[in-house]
Amino acid sequence: MRTIPETVYFRTKSTLSPETLAQQILPAGWILTLLSSAKEQQAFYDTFEWHAFEKGVAVQKKERILFLIDINSGQKSASVSFQGNPLSFFSETLPDSLLQTKLCSLSNIRAFSRLCLLNTFTTSYRLLDQNSKTVAIIAVESIQLTGHERYQEEIHLLALTPFKGYEEDTTPIHQSLSALEAVHSVLNFRELFLLLMKCTKQRVQGYSAKFLTKLHPDATIHESALLLLEHTFSVMLLNKNGIKKNIDSEFLHDYRVALRRTRSIMKLLMGIFNERENQYFLNLFRTLGKRTNDLRDRDVYLLRKKSYCNSLPPNLQPSLIPFFDNIAESRKVFHRRLSRYLSSSDYQVSLNEWEGFLNQQTLPDVERTPQGSRSTKSVALETIKRAWKKLLRRGRQISRETTDTELHALRIDCKKLRYLLEFFASIFQPDAIIPVIRQLKELQENLGAFVDASVQLHFLHQQLELIHSDTLFAASMGGLMVTLFQKKEEARLKFNKTFTSFDHEETSQLFHDLLTGSSL
Amino acid sequence: MKTIALYSIKGGVGKTAAAVNLAYLSSRFFPPTLLCDLDPQGASSYYFRISASKKYNSDKFLKGNKKIYSNIKATDFDNLDLLPSDFSYRNLDIELAEEKNPQRKLKKNIEELSNDYQLLFFDSPPNLTLLSESLFAASDTILVPLIPTTLSIRTFMQLKDFFDSNKLNSSKIRPFFSMVEKQKKLHRDIINEFRNTPGFLTQTIPYNSEVEKMGLYRAPINAVQPNCPASKAYLHLWEEVIKLTELQE
Repeated sequence: MRTIPETVYFRTKSTLSPETLAQQILPAGWILTLLSSAKEQQAFYDTFEWHAFEKGVAVQKKERILFLIDINSGQKSASVSFQGNPLSFFSETLPDSLLQTKLCSLSNIRAFSRLCLLNTFTTSYRLLDQNSKTVAIIAVESIQLTGHERYQEEIHLLALTPFKGYEEDTTPIHQSLSALEAVHSVLNFRELFLLLMKCTKQRVQGYSAKFLTKLHPDATIHESALLLLEHTFSVMLLNKNGIKKNIDSEFLHDYRVALRRTRSIMKLLMGIFNERENQYFLNLFRTLGKRTNDLRDRDVYLLRKKSYCNSLPPNLQPSLIPFFDNIAESRKVFHRRLSRYLSSSDYQVSLNEWEGFLNQQTLPDVERTPQGSRSTKSVALETIKRAWKKLLRRGRQISRETTDTELHALRIDCKKLRYLLEFFASIFQPDAIIPVIRQLKELQENLGAFVDASVQLHFLHQQLELIHSDTLFAASMGGLMVTLFQKKEEARLKFNKTFTSFDHEETSQLFHDLLTGSSL
Repeated sequence: MKTIALYSIKGGVGKTAAAVNLAYLSSRFFPPTLLCDLDPQGASSYYFRISASKKYNSDKFLKGNKKIYSNIKATDFDNLDLLPSDFSYRNLDIELAEEKNPQRKLKKNIEELSNDYQLLFFDSPPNLTLLSESLFAASDTILVPLIPTTLSIRTFMQLKDFFDSNKLNSSKIRPFFSMVEKQKKLHRDIINEFRNTPGFLTQTIPYNSEVEKMGLYRAPINAVQPNCPASKAYLHLWEEVIKLTELQE
């Protein structure tokens, strides 16, 4: 890709006039000539998890074009025409282009949401040298942040973009601008981006679905568990608006994961909290989880739309349209229902109760919660060991027939172990915990594929009732069920091999290294 | 990246004007475009008000790729860059003779630019030397401007003979008539005689005072006077040329 010299931004106290610039920065014989003057809106986009920023990319909408910009160099790497400044969009909905491919590789499941909308007044000048050759563009910009009443101040900038081959010639201009009294900082594109995010109250990389709570091995498990629960609570709170605004399905997914993790912490670490309170909140969160099931089920099927269609011959694919339309319609109902609940006073009361519980600073009665004062390290080692041994015991008991019930139950055991490893990951050395999680992940993927296919088969079986005389739909259902049955059986057949690989000396050694404490 | 040379054994045939205007049009339709000024007289560079940096010379040019890339300069027009000529290019032939495989040198030296530009134009010096041979190998298309006069046609025949005797691919050669004065009978007769000759482009470039004024504007005529007859002719020539490059579907 042809590179263009990096633009340098000079933040000024007010808009500088071309006369001031000409007087104060131009060498003899150099002049500024007006190139253009425009008022426009620009917007920046990223996913809720900052997928673009994480990969060093800024997604900018400007002049009816969507650009991908390298955050460090400010170089545009791809562009595509783009209308309006929507609140969010999915990468898949963009026209086929290099930009679409690049954005899809960042995320095709998460929506790119508008981070900020800026009104920009730009007057650009050509900087001509003594031969009347343009050597740079100087743009005087005033940026107004829209929708942020608390930040009324405009940002004034002067952007200097040297032409290729004229970087050295414009160095004195750069130096003169830096020395101007009116200039209070010199920024590169990354710094400008971060400034705009700060002014628009965006917390760059302020959210990650990953479990990153840092625990101290010698802290009491009560303290650590509260930290973990505070984290899962914050994830629930952060995802609520995204669910209500219907931005993408990952908000609900992360919300549900946070709920499951909350329940797991409370169930797996018994004896840490007051038993009565523990049970009360477990029930509360179970009920809350159930409220989200119907919507999540619909999300999952809608996400599978493409793969379902692709697994059928072209002549059968249209028969799935009403099927997915029905799912989309019922999704709307469930979404409204859940959104209403999340806005209700009942929900707020529950949140307040939970917050009150988390804010209790004192250790509960030692007699009733004997585990609470133990060290995080000892509880971590014990609970992980117990969960691992249980998984091995249950896995070894699985009969040759590997029934659905056995595999479903084992998947839950796997999940419990995985959660424990993730909760306590921060107290272990990364090189000790990562291989253990990797081994477990393989088994989880196998069991996940099995349960996934099994649940889908069950759902499709229920759909058979909808078939009256629609033979094409019947054929499609048949086709999909055959495919899913094959996937399920493949996963079942693979199970013994995967479990044997997990129940192996090498994995045992990894767990042993982890649990003997040397990796702490 | 497709490469197009503006080449003629004879000077003063409108080679540079064609290179500058076609490169400008290319930058608008197939951005980005690079114009590589190989003529030590540096007329293309002059038209764009660009001179090579003091450190740049034929040595750097022969080192190729990165050395070339770092000496490319942006013109005043979006997506049009120029590798300026340097007076030291007058010795390129001698220096080229000392290189291994000089006929392939230019092609090799621009390889890395293919990620940066869709089209590259060469404005070449008027002679038939080792540099010209290297240029022939590096170019996908060789546009040869011809004034419809006997001498011009004679140099074109010399070029054809050279290709044939050296077993070069003469199908790359695409002549077109330039600086045409329709009021002159000789011009009309020669154009009529060669009109249907295979390989000849149909568009002709008229003699137009606006083209001469490019030296005053120091910009492509298509940028400053897009509606003058010469600009329209260059646009039609461009449309004919782009079809040869396979860039246009």
